[in-house]
Amino acid sequence: MYKTARSAITIILAAIIIFPLIYTVSASFFSPEDFTAAEAKLLPSSLSLRNYMLSLNHGYFSRYILNSFITASMTALTRCLVSILSAFAFTHLDFKGKKAILIALLSTLFIPPDAMLYENYITTARLGLLDSYLGIVLPSVFSASALLMTMGTYLSSDKDIYDAARIDGAGDIKYISSILLPLTSPVTITIFIQAFIASFNSYLWPLLVTTRPRMRTVQVGITMLGFAESGEYGAQFASIAIITVPFLLLLLLGRKMIMKAISGGISE
Amino acid sequence: MLALLFSFIPLAKSFIGSFLTISQSGKVLGFAGISNYATLLSNQAFLSSVLNTLRFVIFFLPLNTFLTLLAAALTRKKHRANAVFEFIFLTPLAFSLSALALVFKELFRGRVSVINRLFGLSFQWLDEPGPAMAVLVIFGVFLDFALDYILLVSAFRSTDRSIIEAAEIDGAAGCRLFFQIELPSIRNMFLITVFMALKDAVLISAPVMVLTEGGPFRSTETVMYYYYLEAFRSGNRAAETTIAVMMVLFSIAVMSLTSRRRRDV
Repeated sequence: MYKTARSAITIILAAIIIFPLIYTVSASFFSPEDFTAAEAKLLPSSLSLRNYMLSLNHGYFSRYILNSFITASMTALTRCLVSILSAFAFTHLDFKGKKAILIALLSTLFIPPDAMLYENYITTARLGLLDSYLGIVLPSVFSASALLMTMGTYLSSDKDIYDAARIDGAGDIKYISSILLPLTSPVTITIFIQAFIASFNSYLWPLLVTTRPRMRTVQVGITMLGFAESGEYGAQFASIAIITVPFLLLLLLGRKMIMKAISGGISE
Repeated sequence: MLALLFSFIPLAKSFIGSFLTISQSGKVLGFAGISNYATLLSNQAFLSSVLNTLRFVIFFLPLNTFLTLLAAALTRKKHRANAVFEFIFLTPLAFSLSALALVFKELFRGRVSVINRLFGLSFQWLDEPGPAMAVLVIFGVFLDFALDYILLVSAFRSTDRSIIEAAEIDGAAGCRLFFQIELPSIRNMFLITVFMALKDAVLISAPVMVLTEGGPFRSTETVMYYYYLEAFRSGNRAAETTIAVMMVLFSIAVMSLTSRRRRDV
């Protein structure tokens, strides 16, 4: 009794959560008439790939996807690089004002980026970076929580190895690339996944800093494809399915890793 | 030292944005005293945006907390059937904000919408103040669900098995085991997710922008969406800096509550 109630609740909850996804896939096959039927439809009247063709032949859609991949990879890579180098500096080196700099950096944890939207926009505009990949990426390159996570891992690495490497004539860069990085790859992968997902899904910032259609990321561009205006809701849904399903597959394959990446970021 | 040079230039660059703000708004406030705050606090549109935000938080926070905890509790044990549900509960992660907003707009569109048909209702969801807020709350839950679920389910699974086994030997089972042993043991992570959801809810702006644009009749205009409108549409620097400062203060308050918990995780 208790068990059936439990599974019933689980199934209902799962059905609710997955409903928008199933509807998206189903609606991506709708014909224009299906959307305007007197009774709202759940399943398409026929299975035609017309919507997908429309979506893929749209002048800018593939460009948007490319932009998103470029900016997300740039953000993830530079964030990893910055976190690695600065965490190394803070844990392995001694320099003047180390503590003050660290406190200044970590205090940004408390500043919500949404409240800095306007000031960041002005700064980016002054730097002449509107409508550029760099403008989209720059504000999210540094993440205090990523630094904190990396530092946590590096602190537990063995200092003796570093001293031994130095005595053997290895420079800092050599030590980082051939010893420190291979030993601490999980934390780097975690930061990469987190940054990539966050950047790929960000909406507000790319919306503000891009004005030319060619530079828009897919999250911004998808609302401006113009399919809905011309009655082609189906093509709109096909576009959504095209950018959602690959993530779904990634999620299916890397579920454990992604879960670890997300929960690791909080508890470190 | 070389590493520091390499890392510090981009760091400083990305920081200019966040630190300039504070000093700049500090300067502006220096001239104006507290009159900016006074103006803002007597502004009808701002006050109603505060009320709207409160209304959102009051509905969103309990619903989100309850549903994520329920999902995590139901699937906390690792076995094959749960792996399927686990994957389903993660699927909202695949949707981005704007894509999900487009889907929601279609699901709740007009009187013959899909949702109305499924539940036998006849709301004009996005054109009536109450229902529009309800849609925004549901939307918010979908956006936060996967993340909170991951945190809670991982917390359940990292609980020390020996404590649970000891309790089982002592005769605790089912509900009692859950409420007296397992739930208290994830207390800290639970509170962290609640605080994070609270912060997200108070700062909500982008979902409003993509889903309702504050409408109908400004009934879903939240504080941060008001900030966006004032800053980018009206060029109202006073309102923009004042709200930013208040939000930073709020965020500091919530974050310090969170970090106190985080230390014990």
